[in-house]
Amino acid sequence: MKKNERAAAIVRTIVVSLIAVLFVVPLVWMVLSSLKTAPEVFARPFHWLPARVQWQNYATVWMNEEASMLRAFANTLYIALFSIIGQMFISSLAAYSFAKINFKGKQVVFMLFLSSMMVPSQLTIIPRFMLFKTIGLYNNLWAIILPAFFGATSIFMLRQFYMGLPNDLIEAAKIDGAGHLRIFLRIMLPLTKAALMSLIILAFISSWNEYMAPLIFLVKKELYTVSQNIQWYMLDEFKEHNLTMAAATSAIVPVVILFIVGQKYFVEGIATSGVKG
Amino acid sequence: MSNPDLAARKRLTKRTSALQRQETLIGYAFILPALIVFLVFVAFPFFASIGLSFTKWNFLGGWKKLKWVGLQNFANLARDRRFGQAFANTFIYSIATVPTSILLALVLAYILNNKVYCRKLLRMAFFIPYISSAVALAAVFKFMFRDDGVINSILLALGIKNPPQWFVSLQLNKIPIIVMVIWTAVGYELVIYMSALQSVPASLYEAADIDRATGMQKFFYITLPMVSPTTFYLVIVRMIAVFKIFSSVNIMTMGSPSYANTSMVVEIYGNAFGSYKFGYAAAQSMVLFVLILVITLLNFWGQKKWVHY
Repeated sequence: MKKNERAAAIVRTIVVSLIAVLFVVPLVWMVLSSLKTAPEVFARPFHWLPARVQWQNYATVWMNEEASMLRAFANTLYIALFSIIGQMFISSLAAYSFAKINFKGKQVVFMLFLSSMMVPSQLTIIPRFMLFKTIGLYNNLWAIILPAFFGATSIFMLRQFYMGLPNDLIEAAKIDGAGHLRIFLRIMLPLTKAALMSLIILAFISSWNEYMAPLIFLVKKELYTVSQNIQWYMLDEFKEHNLTMAAATSAIVPVVILFIVGQKYFVEGIATSGVKG
Repeated sequence: MSNPDLAARKRLTKRTSALQRQETLIGYAFILPALIVFLVFVAFPFFASIGLSFTKWNFLGGWKKLKWVGLQNFANLARDRRFGQAFANTFIYSIATVPTSILLALVLAYILNNKVYCRKLLRMAFFIPYISSAVALAAVFKFMFRDDGVINSILLALGIKNPPQWFVSLQLNKIPIIVMVIWTAVGYELVIYMSALQSVPASLYEAADIDRATGMQKFFYITLPMVSPTTFYLVIVRMIAVFKIFSSVNIMTMGSPSYANTSMVVEIYGNAFGSYKFGYAAAQSMVLFVLILVITLLNFWGQKKWVHY
C-alpha cells in the first residue's frame, strides 16, 4: 500500500511536470533570447542557447537614453507606490465605516460602489482623458494614480474582513472614550494587516502591468512605464529583438521575486477574492 | 408600565438619536474620500460616456464641433465590419479559451491536491504567466509565432514541411492570442480551484473509497459537483476578462494590416485615440458595457439556479 502510494505520487509529479514545462518554455525562450545577439534570435537553424552570453543587452536596455528601463522602473514604482497607499487608506476607511458604523443610506452607497465593478475602465477612459486634458493632468503620472484610489474589490474584501472582527473591541474602546477615528487607526487598522498585505500585492501586480491607461495618458517618453518601454523596443526600427526580450525579462523578474517572497499572500489574496459561496 | 419608566425611556431615545446623528456624520465622513474618487473617476465618466455615445464629436475640433446625432452611432456600428469582426471575435476568444483553460486548471488542481512532490514549485510554474506583464508576454508570443520563430522551427524539426504563417493567415492569426490567453489564465484558475478543492470534505472521498469508487468516479461524482460554484464563478470572471481583452491583442496586431483578430477594446482604443472619433468610440464602449452587464446579471441569476452542492 505504502509503496503504491509513492509510485502514484511519482507518476502524478511527472505528469504535472511535463505540462509545467510547456508553461515555462516561453519564459525560458524569452530569457535566452535576451542574452543573444539580434541576428541570433531568429537564426535558422534554431538554437536555444546563445553562442556567447550577451550581458550587455541588459546594460543597453537599462542605460539607453531613449528608453531606459531604469527610468521606466522609477516611473512605474512611483505610480504603484502612491496608488497603493491611496487605495489602501481610502478603502480601509470606507470598509470600516460600512462594517462597523451604523448609519442611514450605507447600504445604498455600498451597492453603488459594488455596481462599479460592472463598469470596465475602458468605458470611462474617454471622459477621463477629457477630464485630465482639462485640468492639466495629461502627461502626468497622477493621471494614473488618482483613479486607482478607488478600488471596489479592496473595499469589498476589507469590509468582509472588518465584519469578522469582534464588536467588543469597539465597545470597550468607546467606554474608554475613544472615537471612531482613534478606534480605526489604533485598534482596527493594525488588525487587518494580513488582508492588506494580500490586497497590496494584487494592487502592485495590476499597477506594474498596467498598459492601456499609460498608453493614453503618458505620451512623453520621460514618463513611459515598464509596459510602454517594452512596446517601444518592440516597435523600434532597428528591430533588435534581443533588446525587446531583455526589456520583457526585466519587467517580469521583479514580479517573480515578489511572488517567491510573498507566495502565501498571493495565494490567499487570489483565493479569497475568488472563492465565493 | 409605570411613569418614571416611560420618562427614562424618552430621555434615552433622545440621547440615542443625538448619538445616532453623530454616528451618521462620522459614517459618511469615513466613506467620503472613496465617494469623491468614485464620483469623479467612475460615476461622472460613466454618464459622460453614455452622453457622448449619442454625439458625433472629433476631439480635435473642440467643444463647438460636438453634435447630437441620436442613435446614428449605433446604426453605424451595426454596419461597421471591423466592429462586427471584433464583436464576433469576443465570442470566438471566449469559447476557445474559457472552457479549455478551466478544464485544464481543474484537472491540474485535482492532481496537485493529491500527494505530489514539489507542489509549490509546480504551482509557481503555472502561476507566473498570470502575474507577468501581458505586454511582455504578448511580445514573446508574437516573436515565437513569427514565420521564422521557434514554433515553426519546432514544427519543421517534427517533419512538417510548410509550417503556417500564423499572422498572415486570416484563419490562424487568432491562434497565438488564444494560446496566450489560455496560458495566462490557467494559473489563476488553478489557485482558485486548489483552495476550493481543500474545502471538499474528506469524508465524502472516504465514503466513496469504502464503496470502491474509482478515481474517475470520485472526480465526476464528488469533485465536479462540489466545485460547481467555483466553476461558475470562473466562467463568469474569465468571460468578462476576455470581453475586455486589450494588451495582448493590441501588441500582436501591431503592424498587421488585417483586422481578423481584433478585439472590441482595440477598436474602441483605435477610434478614440487613433482617429479621435470620441462619440463613435463611446457608442462602441456602450456595447461592451451591455455585454458585461448581461454576463453579470446572468451570474446573479445563475448562481441560484445552476450551482448545486
